[in-house]
Amino acid sequence: MFAFAFYICAFVIVISAFLVVISRNPVHSVLWLILTFLSSTALFVLLNAEFLAMLLMIVYVGAVAVLFLFVVMMLDVDFVSLKEGAMKNLGFGLIVAVILAVEMMLVAKASNSVSATGTMPIIEGENTYVLGLALYNDFPFVFLGSAMVLFVAMIGAIVLTMSHRKDVKRQDVLTQMYRDPAQAMEMVDVKPGSGI
Amino acid sequence: MITIGHYIGLAGILFVIAAFGIFVNRKNIIVILMSIELMLLSCNISFVAFSHHLGDIQGQVFTMFILTVAAAEAAIGLAILVVFFRNRGSIAVDDVNMMKG
Amino acid sequence: MNSTDLNFFLPEITLSLFAMAALMFGVFVKRDATPRIIFIATTAVFLVLALWISLGSGTNSLFNNMLTDDAFGRYLKVLVAISCAGVLASSVRYLKRTGLYTIEFPVLLALSALGMMIMVAANNLMSLYIGLELQSLALYVLAAYRRDNARSSEAGMKYFVLGALSSGLFLFGASLVYGFSGTTEYGAIAASIGAHPNLGIVFGLAFLAAAIAFKISAAPFHMWTPDVYQGAPTAVTALFATAPKVAAIGMLSRLFYVGFADAVIAWQQILAVLALLSVFVGAIAAIGQTNIKRLLAYSSVLNMGFVLLALSSGTQEGLHSMLIFLTIYVVMSLGAFAFVMSMERDGREAVEISDLGQLSSKMPLRAAGFAVIMFSMAGIPPLAGFWGKYLAITAAVNSGLVWLAIAAVIASVIGAYYYLRLIYLMYFGEEPSQDHESVWTISQAVVFAISAILMLAWMIRFFLIENPSLSAAASLLG
Repeated sequence: MFAFAFYICAFVIVISAFLVVISRNPVHSVLWLILTFLSSTALFVLLNAEFLAMLLMIVYVGAVAVLFLFVVMMLDVDFVSLKEGAMKNLGFGLIVAVILAVEMMLVAKASNSVSATGTMPIIEGENTYVLGLALYNDFPFVFLGSAMVLFVAMIGAIVLTMSHRKDVKRQDVLTQMYRDPAQAMEMVDVKPGSGI
Repeated sequence: MITIGHYIGLAGILFVIAAFGIFVNRKNIIVILMSIELMLLSCNISFVAFSHHLGDIQGQVFTMFILTVAAAEAAIGLAILVVFFRNRGSIAVDDVNMMKG
Repeated sequence: MNSTDLNFFLPEITLSLFAMAALMFGVFVKRDATPRIIFIATTAVFLVLALWISLGSGTNSLFNNMLTDDAFGRYLKVLVAISCAGVLASSVRYLKRTGLYTIEFPVLLALSALGMMIMVAANNLMSLYIGLELQSLALYVLAAYRRDNARSSEAGMKYFVLGALSSGLFLFGASLVYGFSGTTEYGAIAASIGAHPNLGIVFGLAFLAAAIAFKISAAPFHMWTPDVYQGAPTAVTALFATAPKVAAIGMLSRLFYVGFADAVIAWQQILAVLALLSVFVGAIAAIGQTNIKRLLAYSSVLNMGFVLLALSSGTQEGLHSMLIFLTIYVVMSLGAFAFVMSMERDGREAVEISDLGQLSSKMPLRAAGFAVIMFSMAGIPPLAGFWGKYLAITAAVNSGLVWLAIAAVIASVIGAYYYLRLIYLMYFGEEPSQDHESVWTISQAVVFAISAILMLAWMIRFFLIENPSLSAAASLLG
């Protein structure tokens, strides 16, 4: 049963990942990416990493993949022109892929004989509790460091993409509040029968 | 029987597919960014599998940080992509190569 | 985590708090002088940090062994802080001209420097990864910082894609090392794998080496370097050539010398091959270049080859010569880029080598200074650059890598050609059709002058860096 679940997940992951890479239409690629993430979630559950499975679902499927979809939709890319001449480096890519694949199989084979033991054993308990204990007891520094990474990402994304267009009128609350009748109004004596 | 070798093999295949995607898709940066996400996913699978096999929590903690950083990386990557698109009107890397190289 | 840990980490905490405060200040105080205040303050903070860190002593492990505070880390942190200050000081005029004189530039630079300081101190693959990403993400943004310029965004895109690819390689390597050794902490990794690593560890090591080779632009992973150097704003290129290289070399040294301490044989060959390819690619590919920024990109490939040559010796002597060479390289690059940023014409930068023609007759002092820096880069005795290369080659010979040392000497001679060509153009070349404008700020001139003077002064004795680099090399192995 366990083996069956693994093979199903692995099969879906490999096929959908391959389709992400070769799809002509980026929207299809994003959808295949979501499928890859979802099947990896199942794989994480098989490995008793329930919290990470949940995180993968929320962060990746919920945020990252949707962000991709948003950008694909926002950029009005001419997909027809993208189809022409794609896969130009196919030969080179295949050579790299085959060499890497052989290496990976060697590593996978070697990993069956891992003799090392972990230095920070998983204690009994719910996965979220165990992970939380390790995270806040042993890795608070890295936790704070990742906060700085997110800070940089926030600044970076804003710096790069925020543009203040000069031709758009904006509301300036302070100016509005400091307006007084002396500045804003002008008394004009309008004569009957004529405009201003 | 599913051993650690199966999981590492799967992570390896996913890594190879992602590397293949980066090398081959020169016309479409969005797919390159997705390939990078796949690559990070393969590392995550490898870490969690080793963590399970060793009975050690560090792999899972590492995976958590990779997830955080990957989200930040996607945000930066897409921001650069948007700027690139605004300047060029295209998302192909080798379309107009302004710099030889 | 306890309070003494925080004491040793106080400089970095100060830097991160400063970055946040500067951002807040810049966002809420919108005056014309705001960028100026933040630029000066950031430069001052970097200089103060350099002084502060250099006063530290002893070896301490911080935050459950996540970081090590030792002489080696402090030496490189000081170098990082000084190069960031130098870049900021010399780039003000360039940034004003290109419209990049904004508050976010020094803030991103400070956060990137924070990442570099974590990288050189990291004693665990996890803290290393976080430091690496903190540095890289800020640098990706800086490369694409000139967002109305297509070249800059192309440079940012290329740097991002290849940087993210190298992060992927790094993580896969880290996962293999973790899986086969059962830990992510350097000391425990070294204890677990011993002198004869198994297949998984060797593959992990190869992945890690490839990832770091990307970061330091060592051949054959250098292909992004010329494009990114050319496309990025010159101020950012000056940064790329200095601080991130220091940080990446620092993390490479600590990872290999501490994390794989007994498995020297496994990584010595990898580094030797990278060094061999880098020196030849850097020397030969630069010959046909006509753009000074591209030329300096290949020059940094060549120089990283020498750093790897020194490191591949695997000895304390190698580490020491690496530190000396790296310091000289950083000082030279700062001077060279301060000079490149001063070259402009009609408000645009002039970075073709033909623009150097007959510079000596118009600006004799500046041409002489640049000539000193270029002679030093070419490794002409008795300037500082020569002694750096000499020490690196001696270290390699003493550890039995004679073939590599000979190859490096040959490559260095080939490489000398293009440095000397620049000097030839300045003194005997044809005059460009339009005149240069003599433009630079005082801070830019100061950086340039210090760089040129140090190149002359260090040929007598490596004062200021001799003893610190010795104790730094000893602290990493001790």
